[in-house]
Amino acid sequence: MIGNAPLRVRIAIALLLLLVVACVVGPALLQRDPTAIGDVLAQRFSAPMQRDGSQIWHLFGTDAFGRDVLARLLQAGRLSLLVGVAGALLSGVLGAALGAVAGWRPGWIDMAITAASDTLQSIPRLVLLLACAALWRPGIPTLLTVLALTGWMGVARLVRAEVGGLVERDFVAAARVLGASQRRMLSRHVLPNAIAPALVATTLGIGNAILLESGLSFLGLGVQAPAPSWGNMIAGGREHLVTAPWIALAPGLAVVLTVTTATIIGDWLQERLAGRTGG
Amino acid sequence: MAHLLRRSGTALALLWLVCTLTFALVHSAPGDAALLLLPPEADAATLTRLRSDLGLDAPMAQQYVRWLGNIARGDLGTSLATGRPVIESVGDALPVSLGLGAASLTLTVLIGVAIGSLQARRAGTLTDTWLTILCTTVYSAPTFWLSLACVAAVTVGAAAFGIPPAWRLPAFGLRDPGVLDSAAAPLDMIRHSVLPVLVLALTGAAGVARFARSAIVEAARGDYARTAIAKGVSENRAWFRHVVRIALPGVAALVALSVPSIVAGSVFVEGVFAWPGMGKLLLTAVSQRDHPVILAVTLLYATAVIATNLLTDLILPRLDPRRSRA
Repeated sequence: MIGNAPLRVRIAIALLLLLVVACVVGPALLQRDPTAIGDVLAQRFSAPMQRDGSQIWHLFGTDAFGRDVLARLLQAGRLSLLVGVAGALLSGVLGAALGAVAGWRPGWIDMAITAASDTLQSIPRLVLLLACAALWRPGIPTLLTVLALTGWMGVARLVRAEVGGLVERDFVAAARVLGASQRRMLSRHVLPNAIAPALVATTLGIGNAILLESGLSFLGLGVQAPAPSWGNMIAGGREHLVTAPWIALAPGLAVVLTVTTATIIGDWLQERLAGRTGG
Repeated sequence: MAHLLRRSGTALALLWLVCTLTFALVHSAPGDAALLLLPPEADAATLTRLRSDLGLDAPMAQQYVRWLGNIARGDLGTSLATGRPVIESVGDALPVSLGLGAASLTLTVLIGVAIGSLQARRAGTLTDTWLTILCTTVYSAPTFWLSLACVAAVTVGAAAFGIPPAWRLPAFGLRDPGVLDSAAAPLDMIRHSVLPVLVLALTGAAGVARFARSAIVEAARGDYARTAIAKGVSENRAWFRHVVRIALPGVAALVALSVPSIVAGSVFVEGVFAWPGMGKLLLTAVSQRDHPVILAVTLLYATAVIATNLLTDLILPRLDPRRSRA
């Protein structure tokens, strides 16, 4: 499957894998505490690839509290990737479920789900996220809940259209005639055929979720200090943009790398899907 | 006409649903607005009086109906943080955001369609691949981070390259306090707008280009394009009249769909560049837990989205040359 992918997709997959592996095993290998604060005056604002006042070498330099930027970057990556993937998956599952129900049951259930979807899509997602984050206690559970509740509409729309088309098909009618239960028809004959576009949309949603998480954390409404996330690291570097630009530069580049590679892979999957169904 | 009425009716119903959702959101949140307003040492009697003053002691249904009636009359309530009517703050902020939005939307479309059609024309070449990667990267960069990078570029960056201060772009704000009402004011405003508009337009254009490219590639496969070439129309003319022109309605629909992301982008851009627009108003309200302002700004943003969708729905069919004589 990957063998015949264009070069840029193969590079994107390699880079993304590298980043994920680095975030998973990196903190253990590096053995530097991303949150502990030591000798602040000696260690802070050390430029990349330099030794700080305590003669410790830092690849990406240190921040305002003398913490190693690389160690924080990798630790933050765990959280940012986890929130991005989990947020996209949760909204994908919710969207697939609601879309399947709406497509399977025309009538008032379909109307209610479509109305809810249209309503939520009328409010820009970031604004909805900001309002929710302001009203409830910020943190990872709130973040995931809100990402799921505001991100399901695209997938639901796709699955609803697919299911609506499949219901008419002969093999579903055949299953009905053979006496299959509603549940069996939906789970064995309809959903497996409707799931591909939902998977592609969910993949494309990962980048979006990572961007939103970093935005909310940048504003102080997402992941809370001292736990590092790419967004709150950028926020921390904002004050020192002039004297120590690497503090904000490194996490920003990490977000760009992750979202770009995830989007290139998602786009490629979407093209393949369109080619397969002839759409 | 019937279509117009039906679509307007749907838009109004949607607006009502958005109002209901935002009301439910705010009132399901933990915490008490009256407690937020009072100093910690306030006694129970003061709390009860304030709650009845604010109408918070009424049943939820009654509060909802009263609030909806106020909204319908254009009364958006009073800010909990400043005591100012919300409509006044919105009136100050709205022109700033509309200007920013209009300027960046125009540039978004121009740059996005230009890049997309260049890519479609050169589809499959190295230029196409590199532009795709460039657009995906810009599209993937957080707006607030790009804004910060711009701020760094015009301050530290410009200083490092020895650019004289008079030539540097201002990093923050809407205008210089010194040039208010003078002849230099328009130029000063433009200088202040360059960075925010550029950040919004480039991220938007990257998104539009991604879709414009595929819409135009699709249109180039159409029979009308082949027919035009076959009957001897020049390649450039065929390209613009029979390919790009056919793809335009699709691109226009996309532009309408990109309004929410421009809104989202402008929240960050206004935040970083300290522009006193709706986005900044929302951010301040969020940090102060100022419910009436959060509600009002959310509603206005939703109104903008619903109105753009309605307009596109009504105008779009007229843009398609294949339907012009139908």
